Amino acid sequence: MKRIVFLLGSSVLLSLPQFGHAQLLKKLKEKANNAVNKVVDNKTGVETTSSNNTESQSEATSGNRPVNKGGAGLKNTAPPDVNAAMEDANKSFSNKSYSDARYAVQQALVGIEIQLGHQLLKSLPDNVDGLPKDTTQDRVVSTQWGWNNMTIQRVYSDKKDKQCTITIGNNILYAGLVNSYFGNAYAVESNGKDQNVKQVKVQGNKAIISYDENKGYSLIVPVGQSSMVVWECINFANEDEVMNAANAFNIDNIKKSLGEK
Amino acid sequence: MKKYSIFILILFFTTAVQAQDFSKDIADAKSSYSSGKLADAHFSLEQAIQEIDMIVGKEVLKLLPEKMNDMAATTKDDQVTANVGFVGATIHRSYGTTGSQIEIISNSPLITSLNAFLNMPFVGGMMRNSTTKVVKIQGYKSRLEKQGDNENGKPNYQLQIPFKNALISITANGMDENSVMSFANSIPLDKIAALIQ
Repeated sequence: MKRIVFLLGSSVLLSLPQFGHAQLLKKLKEKANNAVNKVVDNKTGVETTSSNNTESQSEATSGNRPVNKGGAGLKNTAPPDVNAAMEDANKSFSNKSYSDARYAVQQALVGIEIQLGHQLLKSLPDNVDGLPKDTTQDRVVSTQWGWNNMTIQRVYSDKKDKQCTITIGNNILYAGLVNSYFGNAYAVESNGKDQNVKQVKVQGNKAIISYDENKGYSLIVPVGQSSMVVWECINFANEDEVMNAANAFNIDNIKKSLGEK
Repeated sequence: MKKYSIFILILFFTTAVQAQDFSKDIADAKSSYSSGKLADAHFSLEQAIQEIDMIVGKEVLKLLPEKMNDMAATTKDDQVTANVGFVGATIHRSYGTTGSQIEIISNSPLITSLNAFLNMPFVGGMMRNSTTKVVKIQGYKSRLEKQGDNENGKPNYQLQIPFKNALISITANGMDENSVMSFANSIPLDKIAALIQ
């Protein structure tokens, strides 16, 4: 197994320089073409069309491969019917079709998670720290695997450069890692100058707030045994502003909705 | 004979209890769902999945051979574990005292990734070298690896048979290659695959 991981890692590392070379060669080619076109334009007085456009067209049509020019896309389908899935599970189980029964229960789980996610999204505030919600970025993700059951995301944005994203997740693995952080007091000590991670409390819940110059503020609140709420705040003035944003949410309600204590 | 009868009775009783548990879990899920308690319904359904995995595990154990070469199955060490998590369900049977065993992991996303590795020759998956080769067991492409010798100088083998999101690993210690292959061919893989996939 170690060898497999090592070999895969090596192959990825080896492929990186090749990728870099290809990008570099492409850029050089573009620059050379532009320079030649300029010289030709000056001599003939006729403007040469951009080589990039013609190249991309010829690349797209090469090998007579048709290019998609439009389509209606995919229709939104309703989440699985929970009652029907539970009926199917019962029937399959009594026929000893265990694989089918398992699949039906998984479908019921997905249906419930999607509904739960939508309910939670409805209960979230419309505005946070003056930022209105952007419902086009609402997201509810449910997977059939228990280790990452559900992710609910809502974005608040001024459509310019200030944004707050809240992600509510039911994830035993990550929640366990975050909880272990609170058990290690040494982990929160800073070097005395740059305290970029520290413990805080949000509505009585232990939390971790961190700051990264490129990503902005992140606030993580583990909820119950296996869930957590994460705020990612970009271009917020200071941590007080982040805390105010977090306090606009009712964590007890989120906890209750997720069935956490 | 008496021992076997008691064992079969216990197995039957356990399955019957689990069947009731499954029906109860689904009934609980239905009632929670109809009263809008989604988180409770979710919990009951997760329980139901675990019940299915336990039953499937016990059914698979019934299908596994009683002997590996001349080593009898140590049925008291038979084990089925159900997890609603990334580990998935595991089924374990050991043979003799040399560490020979069958381990089945099913319904695990980790196994899906592992199987992708196993199917990639360039990372050491389905390929042939001095210790590894690709074999077909009842039509299923599998990876046979020689893992050194035991203290008696006899070879140890591991055979991995990947399915969609399940993996059967057979560890056969102190056996020659032909015996490993003939043992693997005595396992009803189609029936097991139908149960665990």
